[in-house]
Amino acid sequence: MENKNKSLIDYLLILGDNSLILGHRLSELCGHGPSLETDIALTNISLDLFGQVRSYFQYAAELTGGEATEDTIAMKRVDREYRHTWLVEQANKDFAYVIGRQFLFDAFHLPLLEQLVNSKDEMIAAVAAKSIKESRYHLRFSSSWMERLGDGTQESHQRMQTAINDLYPFTYEFFEETATEKIMHEAGIGANLKTIETTYRQTIKDVFAKANLEIPSAPPRKTDGKKGIHSEQLGFILAELQYMQRAYPNMTW
Amino acid sequence: MVAADLQSLPTLVQEALLEITDPEIPVLSIMDMGVVREVTLEDQHVHVKLTPTYSGCPAMDTMAVDIKRALKKRGYDATIKLVLAPAWTTDWITPAGRAALEAYGIAAPLDTQSDKFALIDGKRIVKCTNCGSSNTKMVSQFGSTACKALFQCEDCLEPFDYFKCLK
Amino acid sequence: MEKIVDQEAAFQARIDAGEKIEPKDWMPEKYRKTHIRQISQHAHSEIVGMLPEGNWITRTPTLRRKVGLLAKVQDEAGHGLYLYSAAETLGISRDELFHQLHIGKAKYSSIFNYPTMTWADIGAIGWLVDGAAIINQVMLTRTSFGPYARAMVRICKEESFHQRQGYEIMLTLCEGTPEQKAMAQDALNRWWWPSLMMFGPRDAESPNTEQSVKWKIKRKTNDELRQQFIDITIPQAEILGITVPDPDLKWNEERQHYDFGEIDWDEFWQVVKGNGPCNKERLQARNDAWNNGAWVRNAARAHAEKRAEKERTAEAS
Repeated sequence: MENKNKSLIDYLLILGDNSLILGHRLSELCGHGPSLETDIALTNISLDLFGQVRSYFQYAAELTGGEATEDTIAMKRVDREYRHTWLVEQANKDFAYVIGRQFLFDAFHLPLLEQLVNSKDEMIAAVAAKSIKESRYHLRFSSSWMERLGDGTQESHQRMQTAINDLYPFTYEFFEETATEKIMHEAGIGANLKTIETTYRQTIKDVFAKANLEIPSAPPRKTDGKKGIHSEQLGFILAELQYMQRAYPNMTW
Repeated sequence: MVAADLQSLPTLVQEALLEITDPEIPVLSIMDMGVVREVTLEDQHVHVKLTPTYSGCPAMDTMAVDIKRALKKRGYDATIKLVLAPAWTTDWITPAGRAALEAYGIAAPLDTQSDKFALIDGKRIVKCTNCGSSNTKMVSQFGSTACKALFQCEDCLEPFDYFKCLK
Repeated sequence: MEKIVDQEAAFQARIDAGEKIEPKDWMPEKYRKTHIRQISQHAHSEIVGMLPEGNWITRTPTLRRKVGLLAKVQDEAGHGLYLYSAAETLGISRDELFHQLHIGKAKYSSIFNYPTMTWADIGAIGWLVDGAAIINQVMLTRTSFGPYARAMVRICKEESFHQRQGYEIMLTLCEGTPEQKAMAQDALNRWWWPSLMMFGPRDAESPNTEQSVKWKIKRKTNDELRQQFIDITIPQAEILGITVPDPDLKWNEERQHYDFGEIDWDEFWQVVKGNGPCNKERLQARNDAWNNGAWVRNAARAHAEKRAEKERTAEAS
């Protein structure tokens, strides 16, 4: 296969897998949220993310050709072939973790999409244009909960700071440019991670201030999710995500 | 956006398309929702371009099936293509569509600024679908479907849905 | 005494004339209490119903089915929210309603006390459970209490879509491999009788009916609705090519209805009383969500108070 296509497909996985795994984590929460309103909100966010995944993976399947479909891409790869960051894999320990993970992702995702709307690749630009409206709602939701919990009660503040202390170091990976991202960026297709980082840091500063939260000083976790090296959590996630396709291969659902 | 122009198409094709509604909001036709981008005819084959409202909207697949069925009934084959760009906005809902929503009990979307005021700043501007009062408050920014939020009227106490502005 | 009697008579006359009763209207205490119970039970059913279906979200076989199921569960949560809001207009708090549910005092539809063991169960629930719910709910679109009737119109339409998707899942399975068809048959075997039980006890054993009819909460009896459901569903099962697990099922030409076997009323009452396969688990899940979320709700309240205080201070200065 053409090298350019290979990089493009890899890039689509880098984009889509974050939404896939994060969507999956959120979908675990249905019916278990702290209130009906948050249950609905998290389900909605999960739904939006999976919608984006479908667009990215349908495109990737087209480029891959053969028998590839959005579903073989989502559910038939092995762990080393997934390209998401460690942040989105983190478990739903408590609601503070759910919000922390969501906020850190949204703060990165929105500026990413804002760049991708100008991608030279028409499809990526279209997906980004669609997703950006939704991502704005997501960021608003997660930011306001960061505030509520960070500046709520003593207990909520402690839980929120603890969650952030654990999750924040994983965000290092967002801005580590992989070979694929470099190729895509230079081709005018992919985003400039440095630009995203600037916007991201400002958002973090603003929201953390409103939420009375400290930006953790712990060293970053230099993980290689975008290169396929994941945490222990992924195995369990895939066991559920892929179960039906693996137990009943080659059937129509 | 200019809604797909059906005028030049055979009556039967127009009929078929005008018949299809949003599966969850049956008072809203796909034409009035503004999701039909383009319809072209090649012999007895109709090409329809649809644009999804929300990324994860499950109704799109169903609408495609319904369109195919309606055209088949009238002797036409169809190919439905989902196009993502330009992205759908609530601006594309026609005045007839907005009226249909209101009559059905779903408050039609406001402009971007007012939408923000209502959803984020708690301003009382969304009109109650039951009594028309503006003395309404948001109960939940996320409603039963991706496109709706739940409001409640403080005058007549009616809980009602508001179709969120997406632009 | 006479005044109340006149008021009640006038109230009933309004209902008889087809008028809607709105939350701010005068209403007999019994009407208020009955509707709080009816509407909140409905709301509880929606949110408990999220659990058996929610089980399968992480394991749907395709992305398309995943967005379908996520949207369905969101819909149910949204309906719950809507109905709680409607119940609250009658003078009860959400906290009190949840409390009643969590201590096992309030009822919810028993059907959700059954387990979802395979993917086909998701199809069966959409087809049968939503199908049965729609039949119950269509009747309520003309009930006397305004907010409830209006909600039912929209909820019914949304659930019709769910039913359609559930049936499509079943159809895909039945047109698939022998394994898939067997999965569908197995799901039908387990969900058929509980779905019939959704229509409640036999008419002879249904205590509330008379009052419910007067207030237009019920327009048809349990048995009538159950018969309606069976008559509609059997042809659908025939199209799927799977068999309803009732050896006594037979079309009765004279009655122009299906004759069917005896429901296991022991099972019915056991599940209603709390001894069904998943009653404990469902209640535990709701209790856990509520209790584990207490600190979150407290934080939201505290934050809102802080904001309000800031605004008051700002306005004062």
